[in-house]
Amino acid sequence: MRGVLGFALVLPPLLVLVFLVILPAISAVITTLTPATGVVTAAPLANYAEVLGTRTLRTDIVFTVIVTLVAVAMVFCLSYPLALYLRFVRTRIAALLGVVFMVPLFVPVVIASFAMITFLVGHGLVSTVLFRLGVERFPRLVYNATGIVLTEVWVSIPFAVLILGAGLQAIDDALIDSARDVGAGPLRTFLAIILPLNATPTMITLTLLFIAIFGSFTIPYLVGGNAPQMLGVTMTNYLTQYLRRTESATMAVIAFIIASVIGIVYVASVSRRERAAP
Amino acid sequence: MQAAWFLAVGGLRRALGIGALLALAGFILGPLATLLVWAFAGAWLFPHLVPEFSLKWWVYVLGNADVGKAIRMSVLSAPTATLLSALICIPAAYAFARLEFPGRRLLLLSFLSANAFPKIGLYVSIATLFYRLNLMDTFAGVVLIQLVNTLLFMIWIPTGTFRGININLEEAARDVGAGPLRTFFQITLPIAMPGLIVAALFAFIAAFDEAQGSLIVGTPNHITMPVLMYALVLSYPQPVGAVFSVLLSLPSVILLLVTQRYLRAGYLAAGYSL
Amino acid sequence: MMSRKPPIRAVCAALSLALIAFVIGAAGPGAAQSPITLNVYINGDTNIFDLWNKTLLPAFTKRYPQYRANFVPLLHGNGSQGVLDKILAAKQANKPTDVDLWETDPTYVTQGAPNGLWVKLTTQLIPNLTRVPPDKLRATDYYSMPYRGSSVVIAYNTAFVKTPPRTLDDLLAWIKANPGKFTYCDPNTGGSGQAFMVAVVYKFAPMAQYTGGAPYDQAKEAAWDPAWQMLKGLEPAMYNNGFHPNGNVAVLQLLAQQNVYIAPVWSDMGTDYLKRGLLPKTVKLEQITPPLFGGDSTVTAPAGSTHLEGTFTLLNWLLTPEAQQMVITSVSGYPGVDWKYMPASVRQQFADVAKPYAPLPDSKYFADMQRLWHERVAGGG
Repeated sequence: MRGVLGFALVLPPLLVLVFLVILPAISAVITTLTPATGVVTAAPLANYAEVLGTRTLRTDIVFTVIVTLVAVAMVFCLSYPLALYLRFVRTRIAALLGVVFMVPLFVPVVIASFAMITFLVGHGLVSTVLFRLGVERFPRLVYNATGIVLTEVWVSIPFAVLILGAGLQAIDDALIDSARDVGAGPLRTFLAIILPLNATPTMITLTLLFIAIFGSFTIPYLVGGNAPQMLGVTMTNYLTQYLRRTESATMAVIAFIIASVIGIVYVASVSRRERAAP
Repeated sequence: MQAAWFLAVGGLRRALGIGALLALAGFILGPLATLLVWAFAGAWLFPHLVPEFSLKWWVYVLGNADVGKAIRMSVLSAPTATLLSALICIPAAYAFARLEFPGRRLLLLSFLSANAFPKIGLYVSIATLFYRLNLMDTFAGVVLIQLVNTLLFMIWIPTGTFRGININLEEAARDVGAGPLRTFFQITLPIAMPGLIVAALFAFIAAFDEAQGSLIVGTPNHITMPVLMYALVLSYPQPVGAVFSVLLSLPSVILLLVTQRYLRAGYLAAGYSL
Repeated sequence: MMSRKPPIRAVCAALSLALIAFVIGAAGPGAAQSPITLNVYINGDTNIFDLWNKTLLPAFTKRYPQYRANFVPLLHGNGSQGVLDKILAAKQANKPTDVDLWETDPTYVTQGAPNGLWVKLTTQLIPNLTRVPPDKLRATDYYSMPYRGSSVVIAYNTAFVKTPPRTLDDLLAWIKANPGKFTYCDPNTGGSGQAFMVAVVYKFAPMAQYTGGAPYDQAKEAAWDPAWQMLKGLEPAMYNNGFHPNGNVAVLQLLAQQNVYIAPVWSDMGTDYLKRGLLPKTVKLEQITPPLFGGDSTVTAPAGSTHLEGTFTLLNWLLTPEAQQMVITSVSGYPGVDWKYMPASVRQQFADVAKPYAPLPDSKYFADMQRLWHERVAGGG
């Protein structure tokens, strides 16, 4: 009875998902398993073999994974202290910074990328200021991996701070104070109390960050370099510029598989915690 | 207030901490400030630090009637998509958190595909379906395509939130005779509200930012802001792009001002209380 | 779910019937009362948006008051793919498309042609088509019609370049001698970059093999190898050690910011930027020998449009001297029709500018060139 109710409640969003994502995705997968025109006897995985056999595409896949991991790590390392700060410091400056760090959330991604370019580009604001200060050699900050990472970090900080902060908010001050009373230092308190108690939001944050950055198109398209490129850009190029729809769909499936692995890790870890809990 | 324990170690460390925070704030605000300056620049050629001031690009941009229309379309469609999403997803999230049914975990995971499968490969199929249902170039079609982007946020975050709520609270309410609906609306929902608001905010942003799908479904008469933005911000000379950016950020800035109090630490409270 | 299908189908059928009735009614004698709205989709840069929105379409609707125009500006690349997906989906769903006229790159016309998405243009449909040189129509197999042209030229800043290169070889030598002061846009993102890439390919492989509807044979692409090696060798001498910006506009911005001193740009965009003070006055434009490619910008009539009558009227009007003159004055473009149909004064005016330009490679070769550039030049080898 409760099972039926549960399923009934889940059904409406599930229908949207099935018709607008899953069925179209299945038809895309079928295309990738159909051999390219002219090669009738090819194996069903021929398209995958071809994509993975192209050196530049392998490079793009690895590049995408690395950029994503670096960006996620940076967002995490910046956001966690920030969330702690906003949680435990109650000054006017903290309140003000709390608003400042939410700003990127409200800036559409196209505009964020455009703003980042004008800010960081050679002869843009940062480099002009440095030039005036006598710095002649200016490191390249946009149109490469650095640019992608910086922009991804810029747009992702509010998301991470909010989810982590919401979790931290739930931790009782008394718990932390009692840890201090038994002589635990800040690091110890963080590792032994805060991190485990905030595990679910942390996992949600990491998973969603990974998937969002891994699949991003606008930022790498605008702020990235010519090569290697992130998969979102490469598959668009194969579709729109190189007249190769099948390869593009194949890359989409590969990207989906990689992203799914992260999703499965998340669900597995949440399930384990659930089972461990009484 | 003992809470500032981790910073209270010494003046120097504190100063370092504040310095780092301010640097980070500069990193956040710098690009936007540059954009604002560009929007009022007649021309800004290297190595001048300050551009010639000019309003000529504003006159140029404000003559473009499409901008107002697109902003109106976005301001109407994104909240509709968010509300609709909340309406169908929050009960589902509650079911995922509290009810046992076969395939629960797999179904929860399947929502990941809404964000994890690159949409570029899906649009022809989606558009074909929309043509059959006569949803092309309609407001409903645009809302539906935006709705897809909100699903993950509206399912996963509320599921986490509901799961974090102490079940004893609900059971206590049931023990004193409250029905399941009453328990949900009077006990569960208020406690979950902060988490739900955050989810709704992310859903809104995701709906608001959707460009590629809206382009296919919405043209020619239901063009949203991001669709226009791609064409305008990127293909005009830099100052015009900046003016468009400033204009197109206005709805978001208003949203920031409106929601700002929900984003304050204090309000976010017990989304994940254990 | 099964039980819901018939009603939807019935509704669709009813709607299409209504639509057909509407179309027949609109094309009939009573059409004059209610103007028909044509949805005109333009993928391009902003000068082209302005050309359509502020000049061509107002003039057209004034001349033919039975039509209204709804202008839809979209970015190249992604925007074009979106429109193509949309037209393709309409075809698959057996629905009319709302795209009545589309200006886009030849690549997309070629992609849609096998699916029967476009009307094959003839002089019966568009009488003025006789004025267009036939080889221009053959390039896309009569599925699109050129209405304006422009070519890629070299822009150089006289403040830094005293003796500008006059030939491609001069230019290549200059690039090596002045590292960091030249770049071209990523060929995926703009024609000005494609033109430089193609010029180097033509240097090593005879262009006749890849242009003018020559049959597609991937084996012939082996002849491009030396071109990739040469372009790869130029990478360290590019701006920022091998950086290619995103799009024609970005290159103009690098020129404006004096980050680079020479770059390939579209003749019409360069002229327009100089006119508006967005480039330093010291920047000059010139064509080199052998010339960089030029292209005709073409418009296409989607076969699924319900307003084809209006589309053909607009296409025919576009080839009149009146419309062609507008193209020339507002975007400094070349006419789509043969020069002999333009007034003598115009021919005089363009005598120096409109030097001959190289032809675009055919779509399939062109697509492969772009992919190989990414694999062999940008991708490191």
